[in-house]
Amino acid sequence: MKVLVIEDEKELSDSICSYLANEQFVCERTFDFDSSMEKILLYDYACIVLDVNLPGGSGLDILKELKNQNKTDGVLIISARNSLDDKVFALKTGADDYLTKPFHLAELAARVNAIIRRKSFEGKNEISCNELKLDLAEKNVKVHDGPVDLTKKEYELLLYFISNKNRVISKNAIAEHLWGDSMDVADNYDFIYTHIKNLRKKLIQAGAADYIKSIYGMGYKFNV
Amino acid sequence: MKLFTKYTRVNLLATIIIFLLSVVAFYFVIRFIVIDQVDSDLRIEEREIETYVKEHNALPEPIPVKDQKISYSPSGDHSHKKRFTTIAIKGERDSFRILQFGITVNEKNYVATVAKSLEGTDDLANSILLISLATILLIMGASLIINRVLLKRLWQPFYNSLDVLRNFRVDKKQSLDFPSTQIDEFTFMNQTIQKTTNQAQQEYSLLKEFTENASHEMQTPLAIIRSKLDLLIQDENLSEGQSKTMQSAYSAIEKLSRLNQSLLLLAKIENNQFAETTNINLKQKLEEKLDAFHELWQNQNISVSSSLGDANVSLNNELTDILLNNLLSNATRHNFSNGSIKIVLKEKTLEISNSSKEKELNSKQMFLRFFSQDKKSRYNGLGLSIIKQICDVSGFTIRYLFTGNEHRFVLSW
Repeated sequence: MKVLVIEDEKELSDSICSYLANEQFVCERTFDFDSSMEKILLYDYACIVLDVNLPGGSGLDILKELKNQNKTDGVLIISARNSLDDKVFALKTGADDYLTKPFHLAELAARVNAIIRRKSFEGKNEISCNELKLDLAEKNVKVHDGPVDLTKKEYELLLYFISNKNRVISKNAIAEHLWGDSMDVADNYDFIYTHIKNLRKKLIQAGAADYIKSIYGMGYKFNV
Repeated sequence: MKLFTKYTRVNLLATIIIFLLSVVAFYFVIRFIVIDQVDSDLRIEEREIETYVKEHNALPEPIPVKDQKISYSPSGDHSHKKRFTTIAIKGERDSFRILQFGITVNEKNYVATVAKSLEGTDDLANSILLISLATILLIMGASLIINRVLLKRLWQPFYNSLDVLRNFRVDKKQSLDFPSTQIDEFTFMNQTIQKTTNQAQQEYSLLKEFTENASHEMQTPLAIIRSKLDLLIQDENLSEGQSKTMQSAYSAIEKLSRLNQSLLLLAKIENNQFAETTNINLKQKLEEKLDAFHELWQNQNISVSSSLGDANVSLNNELTDILLNNLLSNATRHNFSNGSIKIVLKEKTLEISNSSKEKELNSKQMFLRFFSQDKKSRYNGLGLSIIKQICDVSGFTIRYLFTGNEHRFVLSW
């Protein structure tokens, strides 16, 4: 699957691509308005990571052009502007999601994965990972086809882990994913620990392997 | 005390004293002149008597005249000294000026006494006193009226300028417009104030722009650092020590981004970028928030009691979210396990109180930016500034109360 990263800040673009570049994604990059426009018209991408402020024009114009061409590429807007109006405008114009800088790469990967799933599975929203099966529409989880009773947060956590398989996710990224950045209490990591402990226990009890590994108290890794 | 009250007081006091002194002086001078006149009259009388004695060798028959009395009395003394005195005679209304002198008739010594009434003098003195008092009263009255009317009018430009200055806000762009005045001093004052305030506004907006630009410029490097950290921790060969270092770096970056976001938010509120308001059902909003915070409170064993009445306010939607999030976050993180939070929403007020181990906040400084009671606090001290700023732009008032180890924030609109 091909992902296009349109971001003028080369260092950030580098980071995004090295994080996304696993067996699943092939990353292409452009750094300015004109070359991006050329790429999106020539090729189709599973997802486009699109910065709003670009040299030579606005990322939102690229988005409009995509919609004019009736292209179905998923679009994730990344912007330094954190206002509701900007978000609403981008989503109305046809973006699939909106992420404010600075963000965690794990969060970006989760969002990109979600967009691609929505685009490609078309209704049959199910992810499986070995013995785990997640029904995205019903928001439930099965292990060896037996249901596991997870809370909302535990389900979100599991989905986040699966979207970032074999990657170390920092506690900060997990906290931000679960609580958003609006609640200014996210640096309280105790309850992240509680959630992870419970999730792990429930999965193991349901007969799944122990996938979640703690990495020196710095973060967690979902090892498959 | 008003300037011209003070001025009038001093002025009147001085006027009265000067007048009284001059009245007294005037009285004595007039009296001296009149008595001098009377004395010369008495001397003329004396010469007439002496002439009469020389010619007739007998005392003249005293002729009773209204204001003049002459009498003789025998005296053993040969040469009675000539003496002027002023006396009050019993039964007479006015005092008399008396000249006594010795006179010898047929080798007999007499003392002649010539008395002249001072009636005119006393009347004159009385008139002077009366006129003076009347003048003083008149002057007092006149100066009062003049001060009231004239000074008030003279100082009017000053009060006009004060009124204009009272509406001055350093964060508002409009420049002060003073009404023109013909008094040089006030024109000068207005010009000086105008120049100073313009400069203050300019400096303020420069400073604000700087903060804003700095925050914006910081976004990208922050995003890069964060993404690089996200990549670094993927390294399988990280030691425990390195991981701990990474964790510290993460936390610092987290704090920095949060700080930066708060500063940007404050700048945006100040720039009126949240001017658009909608009618918001606060009860519904609060219920959503309570739902979101529920798990967190449960985790920390914080008991929450809420009584939510209906309340509709005209507010910016985004700001409402931020406001409630901040208030509830504050109540949560300054709490302790097994603590409590109380939320009471009424038609015109919202009160959020929480138990805390922290002591009473300094109500003068608590809303200042970067203020935190405890210098080692892990929070940036912008939360309350943001709450205050939102209240200010939304026309809410916020009060802080501390009762029985409970921190209470009361918003009213």
